[in-house]
Amino acid sequence: MPTDVRLLSDLDRVIHEPARLALAAILSVVESADFLYLQRETGLTKGNLSSHLAKLEEAGYVAIEKTYRGRIPLTLVRLTDAGAAAYKAYRARFRKFLEKA
Amino acid sequence: MVDIEKIEKRTVRSFYDDGLFEVALGLLLLLLGGYFFAQTVVPKDSRLSSVLSILFVLVIVSAGFIVSRILRLLKRRITYPRTGYVAFKKKEPSPWRKIAAAGAGALIGASLAALYALSPSVRVLLPAVNGLLFAIAVLFVANKIGVIRFYVLAAASAVIGVGVTAAGIGDTKGVSLYYGLFGAAFLLSGLAALIFYLNRFPRPAPETPEGPDAH
Repeated sequence: MPTDVRLLSDLDRVIHEPARLALAAILSVVESADFLYLQRETGLTKGNLSSHLAKLEEAGYVAIEKTYRGRIPLTLVRLTDAGAAAYKAYRARFRKFLEKA
Repeated sequence: MVDIEKIEKRTVRSFYDDGLFEVALGLLLLLLGGYFFAQTVVPKDSRLSSVLSILFVLVIVSAGFIVSRILRLLKRRITYPRTGYVAFKKKEPSPWRKIAAAGAGALIGASLAALYALSPSVRVLLPAVNGLLFAIAVLFVANKIGVIRFYVLAAASAVIGVGVTAAGIGDTKGVSLYYGLFGAAFLLSGLAALIFYLNRFPRPAPETPEGPDAH
């Protein structure tokens, strides 16, 4: 298999999906963000956002903490170390692929 | 295709969307202007003048502390209910970066001290020097995060600094006027951004059961 094709086929499929990639990109530059912030930044519906976050959580890439600010429920999301490493690797691999293409 | 770098940059930029950072920095700069103005009003040989000189660092540090507290409070009250909570990473700079920053700071400080120690004719350049230094700093931030109004503020800093020097207002008085005008520019820019933000993102109604906590 040609190197550039292998680079593409080896991409992490959990992160490669556009909505999850956008979520990982946002979470890579923040400490944590709540559901409302992620929804506004990605433009996803509540249901879609929940489902993509669940997939990322299942892969161990994000940690979701349910807490309260005063009496208001707050869902805080952050990239785990594994998630940060996976995103970094994805970014590097994808850049390499673009350079070769 | 998802433009990762664009998303990362946009996320960092979102911190400045509400204009509150500019409002806070504008207040800090106005305070600095007030401090320098007080130095021109108080007689030079008086005890109060000495106290003012000694308190300079304390004034800056405590003002910075208070302004950052106010900024946090305003973000909690205004921004988070409208566009969500986000905590940005506090990047620890590399040792080389720290050394470079300390070196640049020392060089600028030494140059300003030397300028101040020189004849009054050279000291009148202080507002222009301050204006150009701030212009470079704001330009650096504008370039890094891509907030257009920061380019305007960088230009305003240079124009105000050079303009005050050209008007021959004097060194300390000129510096106080520079900080006053530049602070007002920051404050106005922040307030304009805040009004735009408040119109764009009205406070949402209290969450329904399937709200953010539904996940």
